[in-house]
Amino acid sequence: MAGSRIELAGATDQEVVALARHGQEAAYRELVRRYERPVFSLVYRMVRDRELAEDLAQETFVKALNAIESYRPEFKFSSWIFKIANNAAIDHLRRRELDTLSLDGSPHAETPEAIEATALQIGDRQETALEEVEARELGGEIETAIARLRPEYRSCILLRHVDGRAYEEIAEILGLPLGTVKTYIHRARNELRLMLGHLKE
Amino acid sequence: MTRRPDEHLSPDDIDAWLAGHPGSAAQAHVDACEACREVAVADRELIEQLRALPVFAPSALFADQVMAAVALPDPFALRSLDTARRRLFATRRSLALAATLAVVVVASMAASVAWSLAHRDTIAAAGTWLTATAGQWLWTALRSAASSATEQPGYGMLRDLAATPARLAALSALVSLTYLGGLLALRKLMTLPSGPVSHANA
Repeated sequence: MAGSRIELAGATDQEVVALARHGQEAAYRELVRRYERPVFSLVYRMVRDRELAEDLAQETFVKALNAIESYRPEFKFSSWIFKIANNAAIDHLRRRELDTLSLDGSPHAETPEAIEATALQIGDRQETALEEVEARELGGEIETAIARLRPEYRSCILLRHVDGRAYEEIAEILGLPLGTVKTYIHRARNELRLMLGHLKE
Repeated sequence: MTRRPDEHLSPDDIDAWLAGHPGSAAQAHVDACEACREVAVADRELIEQLRALPVFAPSALFADQVMAAVALPDPFALRSLDTARRRLFATRRSLALAATLAVVVVASMAASVAWSLAHRDTIAAAGTWLTATAGQWLWTALRSAASSATEQPGYGMLRDLAATPARLAALSALVSLTYLGGLLALRKLMTLPSGPVSHANA
């Protein structure tokens, strides 16, 4: 079992998918392990509600893994899973018209408990107290600025500069022409620069 | 594509500069133009801040919840299919046997089609006989069912109930109301809960 885990950990996405197609549960778990954090982070930053993000991320994985037979190996698995995740988030935002949210919690939260439960939480990265304060302050400003972007710009900027995806892959994920993706990213950067301009002083 | 030295940087130029490989003309422009340099440097700082954002983790039960909702393919069925495929292509003899079997199946199907085309009249006659016999059986069964229904004790009462147009209308109204009530009850039972049910399965 430990041996197969090590084998899976070193395998490419395509190899793990091939094993999943043969019904290996460990391969399914490996795909979840590889992508749960980036997919959850993307969705969380899109919808700004932890519980909802978890539901949407779960829906993404269930949809992708149940349709693993229809996945075409000539495309990157990451593009496929991010495409499903982004569509889930965008669909939700369109339904709820949830474009701008407070970092302090979901606007739908009505009680102090609900506000606390939906507040943006930093992951389990180890930091000193001072670093944590700085990261929360600066991160908070950026997170708020990202939340004010249009959902399309938000997806683009997150995939490009937070996840480090190439322009071509983002175009594939979002189903947009390459030129449009570039334009969205440049506009998003311009808007973020303007919103964060006061931090430079 | 060449650029004039006084031309401001395009978004692609800024991307190239951020990636560390600007053209010499673009670099010269950045060095000379304060506005473009300001934009490029601000973009670089912004990108550094974005890259430093933390990666969020879902709850510890996330993977288990996903796996509980995923339908894994039956490994036994897949293995059987694989085994069959492997056995089929294992030796020349097994392949020849499979090919012979395929030829026999295809040849029988072709023969069956050819025979059907050559004996259309026979097939049409058989079809007519079958239709007539089935119709006769159906008619007999219908008559038996009708005569058995009229001999039931409740039949007289039902006939009395529908004896006049007024009684018939009242009976129809009662049946319609019962049907409508049933539909409404079913609709109420099948209504989704209105409140959010996030983490219902947590």
